[in-house]
Amino acid sequence: MPVTRMMEGNEAAAYGAKLARVEVVAAYPITPQTELISSLAEMIARGELKAEYIKVEGEHSALAAVCGASAAGARAFTASSSQGILFMEEIIWMPPGMRLPVVMCIVNRSVAPLGTLRPDHNDSLLQRDTGWIQIYCEDGQEVLDTILQGYKIAEDKRIYLPVAPCYEGYVVSATATPIEIPDQSDVDAFLPPYKHELYSLDPAAPKPRRRGGSIAQGRYDICQAMERAKGVIEEVDKEYSKRFGRYYDGMIEKYRCEDADAIIVTMGSITGTARDIVDEFRENGKKVGLVKLRVFRPFPTEELQEIGKKVRAIGFIDRNTSYGAVAGNGIGCVELGRALYPLKERPVLLNYFVGLGGTDVTMPQLRHITKRVVKAAETGKAEKEVEWVELEKLEE
Amino acid sequence: MTFRAFRPEIDQDQCKRCGVCATYCPEGVIAKMDNDYYIDYRHCKGCGICSNECSSHAINMAREKEVS
Amino acid sequence: MSLNQKFDEYYKTKLVRPGNGCCPACGGPIAWRMILEGLDKNTVLYGGAPCASCNMSTINLPQFGLHFSSVGDGAAGIAAAFKVKGREDITVLCSSGDGGVGDISFGKVSACAERNDNIILLCLDNEAYMNTGGQKSGLTPYGAWTTTTPEGKKTKKKMIPMILAQHRIPYLATMSIAYPQDTINKVRKAKGIKGFKYLHLVMPCPTGWRFQESKTVEVSRLMVNSWTWPLYEVENGVLKITMKPKQIPVDDYLKLQGRFRNLAKQEIAEIQSFVDEERNRLVEVEGKNIWI
Repeated sequence: MPVTRMMEGNEAAAYGAKLARVEVVAAYPITPQTELISSLAEMIARGELKAEYIKVEGEHSALAAVCGASAAGARAFTASSSQGILFMEEIIWMPPGMRLPVVMCIVNRSVAPLGTLRPDHNDSLLQRDTGWIQIYCEDGQEVLDTILQGYKIAEDKRIYLPVAPCYEGYVVSATATPIEIPDQSDVDAFLPPYKHELYSLDPAAPKPRRRGGSIAQGRYDICQAMERAKGVIEEVDKEYSKRFGRYYDGMIEKYRCEDADAIIVTMGSITGTARDIVDEFRENGKKVGLVKLRVFRPFPTEELQEIGKKVRAIGFIDRNTSYGAVAGNGIGCVELGRALYPLKERPVLLNYFVGLGGTDVTMPQLRHITKRVVKAAETGKAEKEVEWVELEKLEE
Repeated sequence: MTFRAFRPEIDQDQCKRCGVCATYCPEGVIAKMDNDYYIDYRHCKGCGICSNECSSHAINMAREKEVS
Repeated sequence: MSLNQKFDEYYKTKLVRPGNGCCPACGGPIAWRMILEGLDKNTVLYGGAPCASCNMSTINLPQFGLHFSSVGDGAAGIAAAFKVKGREDITVLCSSGDGGVGDISFGKVSACAERNDNIILLCLDNEAYMNTGGQKSGLTPYGAWTTTTPEGKKTKKKMIPMILAQHRIPYLATMSIAYPQDTINKVRKAKGIKGFKYLHLVMPCPTGWRFQESKTVEVSRLMVNSWTWPLYEVENGVLKITMKPKQIPVDDYLKLQGRFRNLAKQEIAEIQSFVDEERNRLVEVEGKNIWI
């Protein structure tokens, strides 16, 4: 029987790793990830999880040890945030390039110097070119579920790419919510033991890593795997929902979008607050919908194009900064803009920066944003295409 | 056709079969076959370590012949 | 069977075959051939440092590597995976050069030693960043020319073995290609011990040290015989000097190498006195536990 308990997001993540029966953990503490790795250490010490825990001296080593372990045939796990992710950047390119199906939680935290311990998405979005699959989790339950789904996606023979479940520090990592912990036997039926088909380091039966083909071919193969991942992500989510009763809509979640004219797009925990705002506007007769961009890599191009065909205005809410980017946009809006480009009739595209450096994203801020998007849908044009909401005077 | 400038040649009469050349060859291309030491010229780089280490002065570094 | 066929059969009995991309007379392949004599097929290699990595493609063992900024940690991951799988019988050998072990991954090596990770960490030291053209490393000796120390290095060689000795690791040893049996014995000993083992071999580089090719082994012998690179082991803290050659003047070693060509007489005398002092201190602690 699944058990439901109140626990913080980090502990839920630890349960995810435990249920996934990870075999090697190598991690270095960093706020706001710390409780995740200390919970795992306790689970191992209590004998609840049979795993080797390498207490590394830095994040660069954490991911390097995870790569070694995965190549040697063990299911490996780590987690980090912000400066820690940046410190391991050199190694981050290795799992996708070497097709090692590891899972690493990125507990989002803003990056110094113009950052704090609190979250925004620059640390994970910086990795968007590297070949990691990125799934943004809204709450603790989704984190636990995404870790389990993550291994299934990563270890799929058609994929062999690493997966990064991303969730915001403090807001998700340190907030307690009721978490349903699935039964280990049900998880075992969903997630079989890890065995890499492509190579093995066992001297008795070694399988060397295939080095043939050009660099272009190797990279193209990874792009193809990313494309295939879209289908596998949907498949795995559907299977998960059959077994565990929770469905995350695959690549994106569409909330009240069916007849919407104005759409706001969110990533991560802002989604929770945004749903309430959508309900508020709907009660006042406005046809507003919400898209939760669950998967950022591979980017849900097709899904967003379908939305774009039917609506008059889309406001992308970016919790990140990309200095000097095209049209002063944030990372998500740049990608969305490119997705919408082939449409014969494009909706008005607006961009809102919120929650930078981890400041709270409030109802008044989201109300202001949604009002602007609704107005753009009604008038067919944007008063202001890009807004730094924290620096604006909010509309009442 | 070779990239070697010099090639080692073992004088089997001088050679005392001590095996030191085989121990120190970086390429591992000197080996005892029956009772004599031979060199695999397919892989010898002509570095001369074997000749330098041979205590019997049994290995001579000869100029690689010109190839027409 | 033709001679070539006989050789092909012979190579099948070895863990390394010819055809490496190293410079002729490189100390690296010589070292690897001896080290592999001390190991067996039940070994996994991790690393691939520059220089020594030119040799790795000809070694017939499963291999994995990341960057030389990841010396030790990846191997720790491999060892952990084998432990979880119940395969601690497999020897995990992590190899790197002096640049990896002594500089960019120094912190990692220290951490592996502190955790007592069950690996052999092998430093194949040619005393500079040779694979990129010969820039100075922390293990370049005093007075040596490198492309970044053209006036001769002003600081002394970082002594990694003694630093790691103070991490209280079960076993460490210094080795030389000029003493093959000593080298093989030390590798075998390390293989039989559980925990973190450190093996440090200085491999002369004719290209970077600027000496006549054929003298690689000779230069190593002079290095040991002048007590510039004494051969010892530290087992559970107790130091044992494994080779005690009659000491020859350090200049006999220095004068063969172009990288020391510009040393003044006074500097050579300085080097002689460092070597003498360090030899004396080493001999003083022989047989004692040096964990302080």
